[in-house]
Amino acid sequence: MAFKKNKTKKGQIQVTFNWFYVLIAGGVILLFFFGIVMKQQKVSEENLAYDVVRIMESIFTGAGVSEKTKNFIDTSGLVDYTLYFNCDESVSEFGIRDKGSPAQNVVDPIFSPREIKTTQLILWSLPYKLPFKVIDLMFVTSWNTKYFVLGNNAFAEEFLNSTTGLNVIPIPDLNSVDPQKNFQIRIIDLTGSVQEGLPVPDKTTLMDDDKVTAISFIGTHSAQYFQKEGNSWRKAGDKIAIISLGGERDAAKYAAIFSQDSNIYQCNMMKVFKRFNFLLEIYEQKLKEIELYYVESPEKTLTKDCLGYIQAGQYEPNLQQALTLLKGNAKACSILFDHCADLIEASAKLKEANTNLGSKGDCLTLY
Amino acid sequence: MTETIAVLFIFFILILFGIIFYAKYQQVAFKDKQEELLAARAMDSTLKTLFLPELICSKGEAEPEDNCFDLMKLKYANETFGKHMDDYYFNIFSYARISITETYPNSDNKWVIYDKEKVKEDGNGTLVPNWDRREPTYFIVTIRDENNEQGQPEYRLGYLTVEAYS
Repeated sequence: MAFKKNKTKKGQIQVTFNWFYVLIAGGVILLFFFGIVMKQQKVSEENLAYDVVRIMESIFTGAGVSEKTKNFIDTSGLVDYTLYFNCDESVSEFGIRDKGSPAQNVVDPIFSPREIKTTQLILWSLPYKLPFKVIDLMFVTSWNTKYFVLGNNAFAEEFLNSTTGLNVIPIPDLNSVDPQKNFQIRIIDLTGSVQEGLPVPDKTTLMDDDKVTAISFIGTHSAQYFQKEGNSWRKAGDKIAIISLGGERDAAKYAAIFSQDSNIYQCNMMKVFKRFNFLLEIYEQKLKEIELYYVESPEKTLTKDCLGYIQAGQYEPNLQQALTLLKGNAKACSILFDHCADLIEASAKLKEANTNLGSKGDCLTLY
Repeated sequence: MTETIAVLFIFFILILFGIIFYAKYQQVAFKDKQEELLAARAMDSTLKTLFLPELICSKGEAEPEDNCFDLMKLKYANETFGKHMDDYYFNIFSYARISITETYPNSDNKWVIYDKEKVKEDGNGTLVPNWDRREPTYFIVTIRDENNEQGQPEYRLGYLTVEAYS
């Protein structure tokens, strides 16, 4: 009997020990799988950020070449994330704020607000010509970024017509600005009404400062950015020069409208001018070949004076002089943005010489 | 005790199987992803090349001609691309070889405008190819020649080849 009792006790100890052991083992296994799940969650967030950046790069490539076409991208899956864009020292960065590594781009000029949080991204590109095509300027915005056009001139009409599908409306005065539930707003001031120290529109006072911005155009080739600070406007950076030959759908002017501030604008334009220098090298070679073509075949210039429009000395402007001037200015511009304003006159001369070559001389043209 | 050890042994064997299976799956998935990325890069490069301002056929202020390369630009593009390959054009095309081949009327004309192969140094210090796959993409293009006897633009037929190295 006593033996039996002892046996039962030993059995009870053994059972208790097993349950304790199972509990610990179960806990460890549970912890192990919990760790895996946590790790996996972090990895999928990183993957999402990577996939988004990669897909955005692909979309930008497509949108960049389908110039003049607006692309509406459904980003409803990313509504909880903030996309951010930046440009520093001619390197653009974009990605998901605080998630993964951003993509860097030293080639494509991307003009956009600094932050976008939206269910629909809008991409649009326009060719930049100075006077020949240099590159496509890419504009990135969203359906909840609202643009208010203040002023009533030819550009206002053209801008409103060409931005169909975007969140753009004309306003008669600054107090008509109503941000509604938009993520951010941009006032395009063509009248000079936005000035430092003046009050911001009443309905924008509750919005974050960086979500209320304005661009005020001064003349045809310069503009000033403003940002809300408390209840009044303050200048955001220095005045910027708009380097373009004007005309309809002036890509450089549109780029200024879609850029957050002068830093993003100038940084991206410097990428454009870098490419411009490389293109000039090719056009310089092409000009030499055109010249050689007419020098070696004088019979082709019996009835037309092609060489007069190509070589320096006869007609003003001519391709050789204009291209040399443009090359010099482009070199200076690639060093400092302030020197880029000289490109306007030089490229206008090249444009005139090229037009003359084609229309008056009926000769081969440079571009 | 023996039972417990047996259970543990089987448990760890199962875990090991799981890890091996997952590692193999990841390897295959990684390879697939790499191939997908290579194909996408080849397509992107082709698209970019077709619209390169350095090559496109323009005529003053008019719209550029689609899928057309200007022969006078084409001849000098490789010089510029080569000169600025590392500091600029590599960011557009990465490791790739881009060429344009004329098929009609002359079938022996070929212009290589960009060539950057992935290489590594072997034991002797010689550079040897360092890529596993080459993804070629083709696209039919026209080549505009204005520098001819007729004094009128002449269009030739050819194709663009973009070979992206993995």
